[in-house]
Amino acid sequence: MSGSVGVFADYTGPVTDRADVVVVGSGPCGAVAAYELARAGKDVVLVEEGPPFTPADFELDGPISMARTMREGGLRFTTGFVMPTMQVIALGGGSLVNSAICGRCPEFRLQEWAEAADLDHTSRRGLEPHYDAIAEFLGIAPTPDDVQGPRNLLFRDGCKSLGWTSEPCSRNVVGCRGSGECFTGCRARAKQSMDISYVPAAIRAGARVYTSVQVQRVLASGRRVTGIEGRLVAPFTGAPGAAVRIEAKAVVLAAGVLATPLLLQRSGDLANASKQVGENVQFHPGTSVMGVFPDAVDAVFGATQGYQCLEFLRDGFKLETLWAPPSVLAVRMPGVGLGFKRKLLDMQRAAIWDAIASCKRSLGSVRERGRSQQPAVRWRFHPEDAQILARAVWALTQIFFAAGAERVLPGVAGLPDEMHSLDEARVLERRPARAGDLVVASTHVFGSTRMHGDPSCGVVDEDCKTHDLDNLYVVDTGVFPMSPAVNPMFTGMALARRAALALAGRV
Amino acid sequence: MLRPVIAALLSALGISVLLWLVSRALLGYGTRDSSLSQLSAREAAFLGAAADAVFPPGGTPALSGVEAGAVRHIDRWLALMTRRNRVLIRLLVVFFEHVTLLFPAPGRGGRRRFSSLSLPQRSELLEGWEHSPLRLRRLVFASLRTILTSSYFASPDVLRELGLAPLALESPVVAADLLFPRVGQPRSSIRWTAEDLARPVPRTPLDPRGPLHPDYRGPRAAGTLAEDRA
Repeated sequence: MSGSVGVFADYTGPVTDRADVVVVGSGPCGAVAAYELARAGKDVVLVEEGPPFTPADFELDGPISMARTMREGGLRFTTGFVMPTMQVIALGGGSLVNSAICGRCPEFRLQEWAEAADLDHTSRRGLEPHYDAIAEFLGIAPTPDDVQGPRNLLFRDGCKSLGWTSEPCSRNVVGCRGSGECFTGCRARAKQSMDISYVPAAIRAGARVYTSVQVQRVLASGRRVTGIEGRLVAPFTGAPGAAVRIEAKAVVLAAGVLATPLLLQRSGDLANASKQVGENVQFHPGTSVMGVFPDAVDAVFGATQGYQCLEFLRDGFKLETLWAPPSVLAVRMPGVGLGFKRKLLDMQRAAIWDAIASCKRSLGSVRERGRSQQPAVRWRFHPEDAQILARAVWALTQIFFAAGAERVLPGVAGLPDEMHSLDEARVLERRPARAGDLVVASTHVFGSTRMHGDPSCGVVDEDCKTHDLDNLYVVDTGVFPMSPAVNPMFTGMALARRAALALAGRV
Repeated sequence: MLRPVIAALLSALGISVLLWLVSRALLGYGTRDSSLSQLSAREAAFLGAAADAVFPPGGTPALSGVEAGAVRHIDRWLALMTRRNRVLIRLLVVFFEHVTLLFPAPGRGGRRRFSSLSLPQRSELLEGWEHSPLRLRRLVFASLRTILTSSYFASPDVLRELGLAPLALESPVVAADLLFPRVGQPRSSIRWTAEDLARPVPRTPLDPRGPLHPDYRGPRAAGTLAEDRA
């Protein structure tokens, strides 16, 4: 059995279809769910608002790439505390332009989930078979040394000098060539993003994929949903086209943490008896530190994020290496004028490493901004969480000096732009940083449709079925009760797989 | 008797001040560059002046902000933005261009619009915003500098001079390429076949000193890459 693909240029009028299950969103969680359901013999329709991208569509220029692949041109931000946050609009969702890190949620954090959200079988042991199956399918493996490049290996060396553990990042990448272009689309086709892995596999298993479909409403009657309706939208411009209506015995929402709640709210406040839809929004705010080394670090070669340090997970932060298009990284350099231009020459000798923080106290909410179908995200960066990230900046600075950096640019307002020794940098340890002193951004989001054993406290149960409706599921990372402490994609996929297998037995 | 005369004088003074403000704010921008699809003459003038303040002529890299094609790049980028974001970016431009009429730049003649200030005045003004104790002020500056810096780095010449130009890399054909066309194209435009999948896929690490991506190899005139793509 083989499915089909719809792209914007091929649609000739309204789209109507009928299926056992319609999956909304082709990111990592939706793609896994669609594949598993199709493999189980279910008639599956997968709809995605963005278009498929081919290597010929990739743009190496960072801002142009972001404008084409990200919602709101990559300029989305939270209010309350202003922080850029990026969500992708493309077949494959975030996997098209993320750095492919696949980390399993640590046992201690899953125990915290279980205690906080009354969960019975969401343990590491319970998720392990799902992690394993996905890892095998995608070829998830530690980044090999021969594509790390100096800027990743220096991180390893620095950690080792300090006696801190570090490890190569496990990624859904097969045959990485070290181009460092994960964020603009992998020209080497080594990254197993969903558009070249799970989605084609779902099609081979019989799924019908409709791209450029903006879902506007989930159709419901009593305790059951009956399908979705929306419209075609042109790639990049979003110009509206013909109507779309898919009837289905079950609906799986994987539109993303900021889009799924809007869809539920717009559909008559569906699945919201708990009043938790759109609440509890949590981020992994991240910040970066730059270090300049005496010798060149072959800036353009090496895995985008090849190494990580999990030493401080229980303290609330994770450290990792980072590369991005130079146009994006250069923004990190301070100054203006000729002095700034001179500093740009340092980029050949510079490495950028980043930290992400698990923020338990920093909460937000999401609502539709007017009738724009875009989210208004209100979020507050709690001072204690900001302190965690400030400690992470200090830890990164120590790794830089331990690895032999001649100077470090911590990027903390109110402190010198550059620090030339560990002693000079100790101000980072002593001085309590305020949230506003840090330059932060985040792509990891959770919690807006959280999982909870008690229907009055959460939106979905442990199988990701909504408490209020018998055949409506949510499988994106919005179901996380709280931060997974590490990069969320792999855990989101594992939960989606578990949910899909459960749904396959019911529909 | 005196009252009407004073009123007339005050009116004349008020009108003069208003005209002076209007002329300072809005006049004298020259004609609009017809190759720009989004930016007005005023916006282009401001962005050029700001790009050259952040990346002045001389030094290394050799190109200034304008020479690197930053304005043309911003115009292309702006075309990809949503209407809301275009409005926000335009407000940012208008704000910076005219803020010096209220809060003058340092030095003589500082109460002029940004694009009419001298290069040192523009640089000094921006440095003040960068190091402001107010986060909001730093955020506004960071927004502007992000736009300018990322556009400067769109220049292949700049990237090559900095040793940051991307390497040449062949994209192998994968099974998905038989399913999905280029964005905007129908599926009938897919030219790959199952035979293309059989070609060996390069899997060796890139050579950091290997050939550059074709778009980044030779010297190019400013902005021509964007023109080619447009």
